[in-house]
Amino acid sequence: MSLKDIIAPFSVWKRAFEKPYTTKKPLDERPGAARYRGFHINDMNKCIGCGTCEEICQNAAIDLVPVSKTVHGDSGLRPKIDYGRCCWCALCVDICPTSSLGMSNEYIWIDSDPEVFRFIPGHDDKPWNNSELGYRRAEGYDLLEGQRVAMPMLSFEESKKSFVEMVQGYSAEQARLEADRCIACGICVATCPAHMQVPEYIKAIRDDDMGEGLKIVYNANPLPASCGRVCSHACEYVCAVKHKGEALSIRWLKRYIIDQIYLGDYQKVLDEGEPGNGKKIAVIGSGPGGLSAAYYLSLLGYAVTIYDANDKAGGMLRYGIPEYRLPYNQIDKDVDYITSLGVEIIQNTKIGRDIPFSKIYDEFDSVFFSTGLTDPYGLDISGEDLKGVIPGLEMLDEVTKGLVPDIGSSVVVVGGGNVAMDAARTSKRYGAEVTILYRRRKEDMPADEEEIEEAQGEDCILTTQAIPLRLEKGDKTRLKLYWGKAEMVSEGPGKRPKPVLIEGSEELIECDTVITAIGQAADYSFLSEEITAKLSFKRGYVEVNEFYQTADRKIFAGGDIANPKRDAISAIANGHSAAKGIDIYLTNFRKLN
Amino acid sequence: MNIIEDKFSVWQKRFSLSGFENKSSELAFVQVPADQTVAFITTVRDLDGYKHLVFFTAVDLLEDGVFRLTYMLHNYTTKHDLGIQTDISRDSASMESIHHLWPHGATYQRELKEMFGIDFPGSPGVNESFVLEGWFAMPPMRRDFDTKEYSEATFFPRPGRKTFDTQEYMKEQLYPSEAETW
Ligand SMILES: Cc1cc2nc3c(=O)[nH]c(=O)nc-3n(C[C@H](O)[C@H](O)[C@H](O)COP(=O)(O)OP(=O)(O)OC[C@H]3O[C@@H](n4cnc5c(N)ncnc54)[C@H](O)[C@@H]3O)c2cc1C
Ligand code: SF4
Ligand code: SF4
Repeated sequence: MSLKDIIAPFSVWKRAFEKPYTTKKPLDERPGAARYRGFHINDMNKCIGCGTCEEICQNAAIDLVPVSKTVHGDSGLRPKIDYGRCCWCALCVDICPTSSLGMSNEYIWIDSDPEVFRFIPGHDDKPWNNSELGYRRAEGYDLLEGQRVAMPMLSFEESKKSFVEMVQGYSAEQARLEADRCIACGICVATCPAHMQVPEYIKAIRDDDMGEGLKIVYNANPLPASCGRVCSHACEYVCAVKHKGEALSIRWLKRYIIDQIYLGDYQKVLDEGEPGNGKKIAVIGSGPGGLSAAYYLSLLGYAVTIYDANDKAGGMLRYGIPEYRLPYNQIDKDVDYITSLGVEIIQNTKIGRDIPFSKIYDEFDSVFFSTGLTDPYGLDISGEDLKGVIPGLEMLDEVTKGLVPDIGSSVVVVGGGNVAMDAARTSKRYGAEVTILYRRRKEDMPADEEEIEEAQGEDCILTTQAIPLRLEKGDKTRLKLYWGKAEMVSEGPGKRPKPVLIEGSEELIECDTVITAIGQAADYSFLSEEITAKLSFKRGYVEVNEFYQTADRKIFAGGDIANPKRDAISAIANGHSAAKGIDIYLTNFRKLN
Repeated sequence: MNIIEDKFSVWQKRFSLSGFENKSSELAFVQVPADQTVAFITTVRDLDGYKHLVFFTAVDLLEDGVFRLTYMLHNYTTKHDLGIQTDISRDSASMESIHHLWPHGATYQRELKEMFGIDFPGSPGVNESFVLEGWFAMPPMRRDFDTKEYSEATFFPRPGRKTFDTQEYMKEQLYPSEAETW
């Protein structure tokens, strides 16, 4: 034994009174590091129940279970985690589009009952629910892309000079990049009025399978070339990816699919439908509602005849929406495929004027009408009948018919909806200075946000909180429009404030034309008196059941006259439901009559 | 030219090096063909002062059909790190051992055998379990290993588990009517 070995114990003893390096037992607290991956936390108000966390979890540790009320944009489901399987990888936290999901730094929990280790973070009461510490997705790192692939568009300088389509469409590469942003949660499907299978057709783009995409689209929408351009895209407002910045470009991805396939190739891909069943259906109106009903009825084997008052099919898609938003050849593409299936469209024939409704009612097995809103509301002010005051619908209709509208060099458009924006931007294209007057605030305008932006981008002047007072004949111009300023008066919580004229305020605009675009009503005068008495109407709408069947069981109705959304895709969805309703009525119910 | 670039031109005379990347004054990478790698490592260890094996790892470049091996060496005198990289085929992946150069090389090789299935014939204990006792499936760090499939097949869901599909559930709640869907 060396001397060192003998002395060693004493040199150790001299450390006996120093502070030890080890931790004293028993351990009372063992806090995790600040970014430790402990039990999950979830902000119940932010989570939308999209299920992306469940999808990415490689250990199948997450179930989505009902917790709160289902509303548009929130399934009401919330993740429930099985900690017997969770490996704390935090992929779920990293992918969560709303950033509701995180982790606390709590990791110590002992219990003899394994069932307690399955719970709904944020919903079930846990001491760490409000933990500030623990893992969160690191800044500057993201598994999802929040920005859309920019759409090639004409500049405002160019767009306002002509009716060339402003939105130019994605290239194959752009479409695939955009499609790649979709997390396929399907939250959008409930909100689309036609419940189109959005994630499925977006997947078809990722797979570069346009045929499959076309098929999926036509399952719920036979006017996709048009809708891919002008749909009100309710789906995009609820897209889960919108929580990261911008929603998927769902509408334009649909357009991309349609733009890739020639009309002549449709029939190679799409279902021809059932053989003729010998029954005849009349459809009145060739707008989106009528065309959609006709398409699905024809797939079911019915012989369909559409009667339409206009020269060409498409309804407001053609005679309302201007070409720079929806070129006529795109409406033709949609319509031509429907007629290629044998649907007959009889144009320039107004029911009630050229053919009595009763004749159609008697000759066909069932009647569907989707006649739209044709009667514009007036301003209800003095001077309204002066020359130069025209409804927006009339002006847009003239432009579609190839006439040059007589608007002069200065135009005031009254209204804040899509018709107003279209009338304003169309006037701009005929060289007029344009002012838009709207009663409420900009944020109250019913027009699509992008429509308002584009109108302003094309130098239409927007004047809000402005109430027209009276019209007079002008001196230098055709008209003088007097208007007053409005103040917004609260109508109580949850209600939108009302514009009230500020007494004594009065402004003047001199202009050649005043275009009225404050809404339109239906014209039911084509129905026979007997039928009108049978049907019921409420606030301008025909009353229908869920199959869009009216009080007369043989008559179905849809579109703008039957649904409050008043857009193309709702009309299309109504036509689809009605087709199904008619089929049920004719195959199941009629025999009972 | 700095010292390491000088060295590179010297090494190049003896080995067919296919690439050289000077990342910073403290770190460089050099690409060496597999059959010359161990000879090259021996050279830089014995002649150039790279005496320490910092780590030895692999990346699965599935698309190229290769594993990229990286041997990270350190020179204590110059405080310089040298990463030596070589690609070996993914099929029946095998590489010469370095356990005779550094005994702890055997531990890395045992790990690589288990995680990627790369064999190092002659390396002590190379076939013994490293951390995955009783593993029968494909080595889990291979990129064609399907974690989810493995986990579904291996671990059973606890009884009573039930999940709801977002899209289906929203339909039931918001538009259960048949009229709205085909
Ligand atoms: C200017 C403007 C812009 C719009 N922009 C958009 C938009 O961007 N996105 C969007 O989704 N929606 C938009 N809309 C709304 C959309 O066009 C309508 O919601 C949709 O066209 C309604 O379809 P529908 O089938 O109800 O009838 P309509 O499209 O109105 O079609 C009705 C058809 O019935 C015919 N008809 C009527 N009475 C008779 C009769 N007695 N006999 C024979 N035929 C008859 C008419 O001639 C017409 O062709 C816009 C509307 C307008 C006016
Ligand atoms: S990913 Fe996020 S928002 Fe979606 S369900 Fe999971 S926790 Fe909720
Ligand atoms: S488009 Fe958006 S909401 Fe729809 S499935 Fe994709 S990510 Fe979800």
